[in-house]
Amino acid sequence: MHTGSQQASVVGNSLYDQVKEKLEQGLFPQWIQTDPQIFDLEIKNIFGRTWQFLGHESELKKPGDFVTRWMVNDPVLMVKNEQGEIKAFLNSCTHRGTHLCTADFGNRKTFTCPFHGWSFNLDGELIGIVAGNKIYGEAMDKSEWGLRPIPRVESYRGLIFGSLDPNVMPLEEYLGGLKWYWDIFLTRSDGGMEVRGVPHRWVVNTNWKMTLENFGGDPYHVPTSHKSTVELGISPSHPLYSSFGHQVVLEHGHCVNVNVAAPGSSSPPYQGLPEEMWPMFERNLTKEQLEIFKKCTVIVGSCFPSLSFHCPIHGSEGHLHNYLTLRVWRPLGPTKVEIWSWFLIDKSAPEEYKEAAYKGYISSFGPSGTLEQDDTEIWVRVADASKASMARDKQLNYNNLLNYMMGMGKIEPDETFPGPGTAYPTCYVDYAFRGIHKYWFELMAEDLKKIPVQA
Amino acid sequence: MDAELYYEVTNLLHYEAFLLDNRRYEEWLDLLTDDIVYRMPVRVTREVRDGSDVVDDMAYFEESKVSLTTRVKRLRTTSAWAEDPPPRTRHLITNIMIEERMKDDELKVRSNFLVLRSRSHDIESEQLYGERIDVLRQVDGRWKIAERRIIPDQAILSAKNISMFL
Repeated sequence: MHTGSQQASVVGNSLYDQVKEKLEQGLFPQWIQTDPQIFDLEIKNIFGRTWQFLGHESELKKPGDFVTRWMVNDPVLMVKNEQGEIKAFLNSCTHRGTHLCTADFGNRKTFTCPFHGWSFNLDGELIGIVAGNKIYGEAMDKSEWGLRPIPRVESYRGLIFGSLDPNVMPLEEYLGGLKWYWDIFLTRSDGGMEVRGVPHRWVVNTNWKMTLENFGGDPYHVPTSHKSTVELGISPSHPLYSSFGHQVVLEHGHCVNVNVAAPGSSSPPYQGLPEEMWPMFERNLTKEQLEIFKKCTVIVGSCFPSLSFHCPIHGSEGHLHNYLTLRVWRPLGPTKVEIWSWFLIDKSAPEEYKEAAYKGYISSFGPSGTLEQDDTEIWVRVADASKASMARDKQLNYNNLLNYMMGMGKIEPDETFPGPGTAYPTCYVDYAFRGIHKYWFELMAEDLKKIPVQA
Repeated sequence: MDAELYYEVTNLLHYEAFLLDNRRYEEWLDLLTDDIVYRMPVRVTREVRDGSDVVDDMAYFEESKVSLTTRVKRLRTTSAWAEDPPPRTRHLITNIMIEERMKDDELKVRSNFLVLRSRSHDIESEQLYGERIDVLRQVDGRWKIAERRIIPDQAILSAKNISMFL
């Protein structure tokens, strides 16, 4: 280790310098992908300091409704209190740390620990201790032993987030320009979006960056990874079909792709949503948002570090439907991700449309979806091939660098694009990826400076 | 229940498993009635007092004969990467029980499934397991599957996708 610390002090020889240099060239050292040491630093520096999605307001309708969630490994109990406010606590009894509530959802007035019977109300206050006065006496101040709140909980138009960092910037500032794009689907209809049922949950042996990137900046994978749906006639046959539109790079690693139909072909207005809903869109959205929404086929992107969103027009059985799916990529290890996938649709959409859109989601992007199946297969292949000695060599002796160079220095931003962020006039560019990597690097920089390349 | 009927039912479910494990999907489709309702609701963790831990409002499969046929056609394309190279699957169907004769030509049948999947060079197998509740209907003297409700025991699936039929 003493050699290590000497090396670390030498300028030009820390991982910081290596990674910085490569990222600037549009290259991503492959060893980073699944490195266990990097993974631990990501949990601390990225997941410990940013905002993580906890759920949607429509999952908590009445006072006492609760859901249990995870912020990586921290169990979270999220409840609606008597005043209708949403609270989130560490789901762990303050007495001996027991995982307090292990149910996925339900309705309660109090949460009682099965270990010694301490109970907490919807505001997390400790309200009952078995044999309390007899054993602890009056010295026991119950107000000191309430459930520990998640340091920061804020929401944006129904999307609830938590942060472990009490000093994190406000959620709205963190989301920045992303809000403008989210508003297109979150506010287009009266009443907004609502979650149907519960999220799908399943585990895939890959790395969280892979999944975040896939939704964030990879329309380029669509014609190949999802070629089976092209062969079936579900997806368009134009080889560049997923390139048309704009890729937008936003602050804090966020990114959005707004796809449109190929030149010369058309797509139904407003992603094929029923005509009776159009007046709402016209009322609720700005002229610029409306213009984008009217022409787009897919809005897909990522909110760094672990939330993605996908609002497509998708065909099933000869009909086209739109829906919103939200994805949480919960890292369980360097090559393990628990996927949470929510289906949302406009509260005010006609009932039969909601049902058809739901079926469209199941057939395309649920765990059995004809598109989803092949994505997970390929994400696993990337992780599998990134675990070995050559890929993991930190000195890069094996040219173990991944190519994120598409469009670099060739494609200029489209200044006429009305939305916030830097918009490129095609989705076949790697600007979104490089934006993700840039913010990743910013949050990891201090620790990377301490690690020598030889480590 | 007579032994001959039980034999017919078990034979059908075993034959179905054989067709699926051998990727004879078109013949499998032929075991399903044209109006089949094929569903796999989501299983969750709930406390007993909160009621059922099966959420019917969300499903892994929500299929008709048409959508199942589309899935089979996909598997016959040149680019269904999840199934090409094909993972090896084994459908183990046990605890077959004829629960009810609903009509002369309709039976309610329960069975347990354990589906093991060995993919590529993976050393560990993936597995899905649970119960199936079927309605079998006699069509032209043959038992066919008219309804299937697949109840997984896993609230978090440990398989990376459901590219197989259950």
